[in-house]
Amino acid sequence: MEISVNEGILDLNERAASENRKLFDRHGLLVINIMGSPGAGKTTVLEKTIDVLIDSVRLAVIEGDIYTSKDARRIEKHGVPVRQINTGGACHLDARMIRKALDEFDLENIDLLIIENVGNLVCPVEFNLGEDIKVAVLSITEGDDKPLKYPLLFKESAAVILNKIDLLDFTDVDMDSLRRDIRKINPVVDIFEVSARSGEGIDDWVRWIIKKVKEKTE
Amino acid sequence: MHELALMAGVFDIVKKYTAELPDKKVTRVTLVVGELTNAVPEALESSFQVYAKGTNVEGAELIVRRIPLTALCVECRWEGKVEEYTFICPKCSGLGLEIKTGRELYVESMEVE
Ligand SMILES: Nc1nc2c(ncn2[C@@H]2O[C@H](COP(=O)(O)OP(=O)(O)OP(=O)(O)O)[C@@H](O)[C@H]2O)c(=O)[nH]1
Ligand SMILES: [Mg+2]
Ligand SMILES: [Zn+2]
Repeated sequence: MEISVNEGILDLNERAASENRKLFDRHGLLVINIMGSPGAGKTTVLEKTIDVLIDSVRLAVIEGDIYTSKDARRIEKHGVPVRQINTGGACHLDARMIRKALDEFDLENIDLLIIENVGNLVCPVEFNLGEDIKVAVLSITEGDDKPLKYPLLFKESAAVILNKIDLLDFTDVDMDSLRRDIRKINPVVDIFEVSARSGEGIDDWVRWIIKKVKEKTE
Repeated sequence: MHELALMAGVFDIVKKYTAELPDKKVTRVTLVVGELTNAVPEALESSFQVYAKGTNVEGAELIVRRIPLTALCVECRWEGKVEEYTFICPKCSGLGLEIKTGRELYVESMEVE
């Protein structure tokens, strides 16, 4: 006997994500989901970002990690509320994990929530969290072929941070071709070239965030 | 390797549809998977085996129907296959390509006996 089904595999997560989204909207809270390979520099970018933002925006952070709380401890030192989510093996955060972590925050008094997803170029992008904006962090040392190899993340992201540009001279990366490939996949994406080590380019990126926060809270 | 997580979703759906058919065996599950998803068919197959083991789905055939990435140009109404993930209209060079197919990720049907 043939049974017709037609049900989305991610439907459960999608429903949880849209519940999260309603909650975020109700509190006028902008939520950014940062994704990228292990070691791309997500936490370092975030640390630099917090130091610039902390005087003008009320922000909080959720750190996703498979087992450890190392990144959350790094963020804590910068003086913002942070929650650690350990996925216990899973390669991505999902909407229900976020929902649980939200109970720890005073949402009414936060304008911006930044979520650092588990380090992985493939899986996290498939699982919506209810965020307003997805951001990809790609370090140029990973090679300029990554966008076309992992197009979905670059397609879904509103901004791409090309990190570690201080190392440009030590790589064979063709920046023009890297930018071209990203824009091919996503013509409307904003690209930021930064060094989270030196702080170069962080200001432009932070201005972009502030603009997005204003758009959401106004 | 999030195919295991995806397969958990597949089996939730399969269970729901076989809950009222306890003495039935599932003999085939058909998934529809778009080109612009991060689900790898081979990994889906091995995750399927893991989940099926010891259940009424063990031994069932998994069919993965792949859907190509296609888009519609909002400016000139061109519609066709997106090559190499290039979201630039091949006809008018417009940047407003809307995805039509290629993001599917669902259980289409099952066969039980
Ligand atoms: N040279 C250089 N090194 C950087 C830069 N940004 C980060 N790093 C280094 O890269 C390594 C990884 O940085 P993290 O910020 O921990 O990377 P991540 O993406 O958070 O990694 P996971 O959370 O493990 O996925 C660290 O040793 C950083 O000091 C940069 O702009 N330039
Ligand atoms: Mg990190
Ligand atoms: Zn066109």
